[in-house]
Amino acid sequence: MELLSLVLFLGFAGLAVAGAAGLILFRHPLNSALSFIVTLIALAGLYAMLSASLLFAVQIIVYAGAIMSLIVFIIMFLNVRDADLPAEPTRWYFLIGGAVVLTPVGAFLLKVVRQLPGADMSVPLPEGFGGIHAVGQLLFIKWVFPFEIVSVLLVVALLGAVMLAKRKV
Amino acid sequence: MVSIQAFLALAVILFLMGVLGVISRRNVFTVFMSIELMLNAGNLAFISLSRFWHGMDGHVMAIIIMAVAAAEAALALAVVILMYRNKGSLDIDFFRVLRG
Repeated sequence: MELLSLVLFLGFAGLAVAGAAGLILFRHPLNSALSFIVTLIALAGLYAMLSASLLFAVQIIVYAGAIMSLIVFIIMFLNVRDADLPAEPTRWYFLIGGAVVLTPVGAFLLKVVRQLPGADMSVPLPEGFGGIHAVGQLLFIKWVFPFEIVSVLLVVALLGAVMLAKRKV
Repeated sequence: MVSIQAFLALAVILFLMGVLGVISRRNVFTVFMSIELMLNAGNLAFISLSRFWHGMDGHVMAIIIMAVAAAEAALALAVVILMYRNKGSLDIDFFRVLRG
């Protein structure tokens, strides 16, 4: 059991990091998008390991399913060819320079993370933790105001997208 | 069981890779997806800490972040389509005409 969870974690984490590396390294955005989908599905697996069963489904259906298919659809819709891509002659300089700048930040954050108290993972979780019933009750009782604000935000964003992208009549 | 620190460390690494993508690439789609990667790293941190505290507020927060990401995707892609039709370029530098 111990070994299985370690193997699962390392596999999902490796897939997620590999997908993210592909995202920032591939030249064509379609390759980047498909590589990013690998990251998203690996993250869904990690959510399942954290007993967030609702988020596991939502990550696959909404993120990897809806949002990424929208992005892939737009990239294909614009019919991006290699000649249309911006020339990025300074890409490697920025990558290496950015890595050099971000390494101390990352080392600091990892040090902070390591000093957190370790949770006793053997304590049993409450009944139905992360399921749709418990999360839904929390969402519609304690978080109902942010929920309504987000619904207004979605409507405004969709109206704005239609207004922007439609052809002038 | 794998400890919470490992999940948080992975979230830190993914977030920094997103930052790296934003500062090093000029293709607007790649920059956009790097921002989504940063949002996902935040989600992973929220859900790990939720597991740590045995409370589910982090899950609700992650759902709200996903809704914001969907709204962002719809609007940003509409702007990209307009920009590509008018300027014929995907270079992020062309987007400086949006400056007010």
